[in-house]
Amino acid sequence: MKVVCFVEAGDDLSAQAVGFARSLGEVRAVAFDGAYQPAAWAKTLAAQDADAIVAAGSDRGNELLAHVGALVGQPVAANVTAIAGDVVTRQRWGGSLLEEARLHGSPQLLTVAPHTQPAAELGEVETLLAEDDGSPKVLERIEESSGGISLRDAKVVVSGGRGVGSAEGFAIIEELAGLLGGAVGCSRVVTSAGWRPHTDQVGQTGTKISADLYVACGISGATQHIAGAKGAKRILAINSDPEAPILAVADYAVLGDLHEIVPAISTELRRVSG
Amino acid sequence: MSVLRRGVFLYGLVAHAVPNDRPQDRPRQARAELEIVLGQRKLLQRLVPGLMHAFIFWGFIVLVPTILMAMVAAVDGRAELPWLGHQEWFGWLSDVFCVLVLAGVATALVIRKVVRPERFRGSHLGEADFILFMIAGVVTTLLFWHASAYAAGLYPAAGSLSRAMAGAFSPDTNADRFFLWAHLVFIFTFLWYIPRSKHLHIAVAPLNVWFARTRAGGRLEPLRFDLPEDELRFGVATAADLTQKEVLDALSCTECGRCQDACPAYATGKILSPKLVIMGVRDEALAQSGDPILGHGVPEEMIWDCVTCGACVEACPVSIEHIDHIVDLRRSRVMVEAEFPAEAEPMLRDVERAANPWGKPQSERADWAAGLGVRVLEPGDPAPEYLYWVGCAASFDERARTSAEATARLLQKAGVEFAILGPREACTGDPARRMGNEYVFQSYAEQNVSTLNEQGVTKIVASCPHCFNTLANEYPDFGGAYEVVHHSELLARLVREGRLAAKADARPITYHDSCYLARHNDVRMEPRELVAAVGQPVEMQRSGKQTFCCGAGGAHMWMEERGRPINAERVREAAETGAETLAVACPFCTVMLDDGVRETGAELRVADVSTLLAESLEA
Amino acid sequence: MRILVCVKRVPITGGKMVLTADAQALETKHLGFTISPHEECAVEEAVRIVEAAGGEVVVLTLGPGEAEEQLRDCLAIGADRGILLETAGEDWDAQATAAAIVEAVRGETEAFDLLLFGNESADAGGYQVGIRVAHALGLPVVTGLKKIEPGEARVRCERDVGGARDVYEAPLPAVLTVLEGLNLPRYPSVPGRLRAKQKPLARTPVSPAGAQLEKLRLSVPAGQGKEAEILGEGAAAAPRVVALLQELGVA
Repeated sequence: MKVVCFVEAGDDLSAQAVGFARSLGEVRAVAFDGAYQPAAWAKTLAAQDADAIVAAGSDRGNELLAHVGALVGQPVAANVTAIAGDVVTRQRWGGSLLEEARLHGSPQLLTVAPHTQPAAELGEVETLLAEDDGSPKVLERIEESSGGISLRDAKVVVSGGRGVGSAEGFAIIEELAGLLGGAVGCSRVVTSAGWRPHTDQVGQTGTKISADLYVACGISGATQHIAGAKGAKRILAINSDPEAPILAVADYAVLGDLHEIVPAISTELRRVSG
Repeated sequence: MSVLRRGVFLYGLVAHAVPNDRPQDRPRQARAELEIVLGQRKLLQRLVPGLMHAFIFWGFIVLVPTILMAMVAAVDGRAELPWLGHQEWFGWLSDVFCVLVLAGVATALVIRKVVRPERFRGSHLGEADFILFMIAGVVTTLLFWHASAYAAGLYPAAGSLSRAMAGAFSPDTNADRFFLWAHLVFIFTFLWYIPRSKHLHIAVAPLNVWFARTRAGGRLEPLRFDLPEDELRFGVATAADLTQKEVLDALSCTECGRCQDACPAYATGKILSPKLVIMGVRDEALAQSGDPILGHGVPEEMIWDCVTCGACVEACPVSIEHIDHIVDLRRSRVMVEAEFPAEAEPMLRDVERAANPWGKPQSERADWAAGLGVRVLEPGDPAPEYLYWVGCAASFDERARTSAEATARLLQKAGVEFAILGPREACTGDPARRMGNEYVFQSYAEQNVSTLNEQGVTKIVASCPHCFNTLANEYPDFGGAYEVVHHSELLARLVREGRLAAKADARPITYHDSCYLARHNDVRMEPRELVAAVGQPVEMQRSGKQTFCCGAGGAHMWMEERGRPINAERVREAAETGAETLAVACPFCTVMLDDGVRETGAELRVADVSTLLAESLEA
Repeated sequence: MRILVCVKRVPITGGKMVLTADAQALETKHLGFTISPHEECAVEEAVRIVEAAGGEVVVLTLGPGEAEEQLRDCLAIGADRGILLETAGEDWDAQATAAAIVEAVRGETEAFDLLLFGNESADAGGYQVGIRVAHALGLPVVTGLKKIEPGEARVRCERDVGGARDVYEAPLPAVLTVLEGLNLPRYPSVPGRLRAKQKPLARTPVSPAGAQLEKLRLSVPAGQGKEAEILGEGAAAAPRVVALLQELGVA
């Protein structure tokens, strides 16, 4: 099969997509120069001679493939974890549910679910040309001088949920995050209650993290939250309820009151670092 | 006369207000008048200030005929009030009560000027001083008039004190005319002043006591949403929205501050003072300015601090029902402007969309009962003898769960036939209603009543006092008439009947009365029977009807708390009894007091009476 | 300004995914329903724009009859009119959904200035419907937006790109897909809810064309049902936690 795989340099998800694409057939990894213009780039992608067009299940990957699908009148399977012939397995509910579906027609258009495939070498990347067709494109990039570590890139995220109890209660979460050089996250209940801004929200409709460690304090583990957290390599849950759903997806847990446990961890951290 | 005009204005305020809608009990209303008004029962909860007021009040009642006597004598100095004016025992009684009234006034002055209790903070002290001066004036001039009238031979039936004082007057001066007119000046000035001051309570308070709740203490009055848009009332925004009882409440307030003293929010540094709420409502009701009450007469922050515990209502000597005011003010903010503390929004959305304030899937509601052999009712199943209403807390909170497990096992052991609704048991709607969202509450009331009625339920046992209160007192408004008992009542009966045999050991246990049990619903004895059945009961000072809230009511389980935490305050009180176990009968109290124990580091184990009973049976 | 917002009725799932016996759908017997979080923000944004600049907000959904509940919720916070493309409750793939929406849009007497969608639905998460509708109607489309500023003839919008914002512009009429975080949706007032009951809501039965992405079955991923290693209870577990943190190289 001739496979065209859209990649972006330096992007982990692209590396994962390429590896997946190679399981389908011979892969041409392609990229574009210049300002991002999804409709125009998609026209070029759609014009490639390919049996399958693949991209990462990132914001841009999903967007580009959707444009391609609209252009060529073909279905797109987003966030695919496996494929066998024309049957794909793809993610629903941010990954909490899987769907097996038959992809009718050609070319097969799919994006690869993030953090479900091992990364591969991109290899040679062709630069394709896209004609500016007047469709919307990125006009400028505004850097945010927010300081602190971005939730999306943080290696460690310490997150608080309903159990934290109040906006002030997050002080101990911030303390631990600070000691670990990480970012502070929260669940959707917390942002709805007005305790933290939406930019701190980890979840299906918030930020999807890819940290080395996710510490979930007082978070029960609703699927829409897990959808944002499962990109983390390891999850440590701190919860008073031994039946909380998060314990079914966590690697480690400490049972008890987070208001006692989190400060104790911070204190112990300070002690061992002298 | 100006008094008449004022009277008409005040009457109009009440008459044009929104009519109330509450079930009443004539015999109990009459009893309330006897006990609270005549007997001064609520005032005597504090002995010295109570007696002080009782003397003045009883004195006023006894001395009313002397006003008539004064009017008669003003017209004709020689005339006397028929029959009563000739009774020597009445003259003696007048003298005694004049002295008692003056003693009362003196005591009041000592309290106000020397002791200066905290409860007067925010009250109009100048007005009170003037009133005391007027009372003293009326009574003193009365005494002097009787004395000088006796001296002039005009009032032979005068009492011993008057006769003793008469020696100071020679019979041929017109001293008696002077004191009579002085007395009448005091009386008419006072009469003019009364409807313009808090002394109006003498006319309004007995009415307010008559119209106070005598049934279904914990029931809030429902709103109607099935009316044309311009007739809808969404609680209270301006004074025009007040109900008749709320206007009467406002006019009855004497600014005594006993409610403020009793309020757990005020006691822990929050700005809520029930007294100031009522005074603010009164100011707005009298001003009739059309301004919203919140932000004018009453600071908005106050209404969110309330935990609806009812300590204020219990303390009030003139039967003001503060909770109605606060919830009505909340209703307008929540339902019309949709402005309320942000942290309560997830709870309201969860109750509405997920049918429970925890936002957990209803499909998991019966998970706590897995493996316990509890019957979960399906539509069409035969009705059980008892429907065990578990409540959201016990279904979804790990600390509250233990009580449900214990209760289920105890009922099984005693051979009580019961079943649960499981996923079809939706939130009773209590947190939404107390928050002010009457609309969401009613949709759940209707849904639950429909489920219960279709299932043929007649008897319900509930673990949570809030569920219990709503099911028993509020669901009848929506077609749900059931025999509802709290689990402590049923368990206590089973122990009494010997169907559950507990063994009492030596450990001291103190029982914390839930507000929604002890105050709103008069359930105080049965949980204590259970405590006595398993250990040695020791009482906290603030117990029974005087209990101090755990802090979770009024939807505060889901709201943030400013100031010092109410639960820590209560835990400290419990620890002071020396008990090792703090017994409760409510899932909210369980969670709040357990949190309080962790915060204060107290050496207390918090456990529901059902859990304690179950453990005692297994021991 | 005439704005169309497309929403989808989805169940509120909680912590576990439970499937029907035939593995074709989630078991929704005791679940509540809502609209996808991204779409709640879309509706709120549309209402705000029309409150400021005048116009009309129309909410549309493709779903079973019960989806009227979601449309009434949108009407309660200020949308003016609802359109229910009524299905029998079956799954529709993105192409069929987009086609039905396009037909409904073409059936309107006046054109829309803005068509708002959530970036992806909470359940199927296909990320496509908005883009497909835009292509079919020949309109420009920008997705994944956290801020939109419509003007007279153009709309300026912003998209988060990890620590920065990319700025786009499109001429009106345009299709935009938005993300939660765009705004904080208001809580509906009761007068709003009562009025919503009277607002016009058109029901049109629709049936799907053959599915191009044809659902075969659903399954719950194996990752659930893990056994977390309990490091300890309470504050006493702190040393073990710190040891783990050091092991993982984060402390």
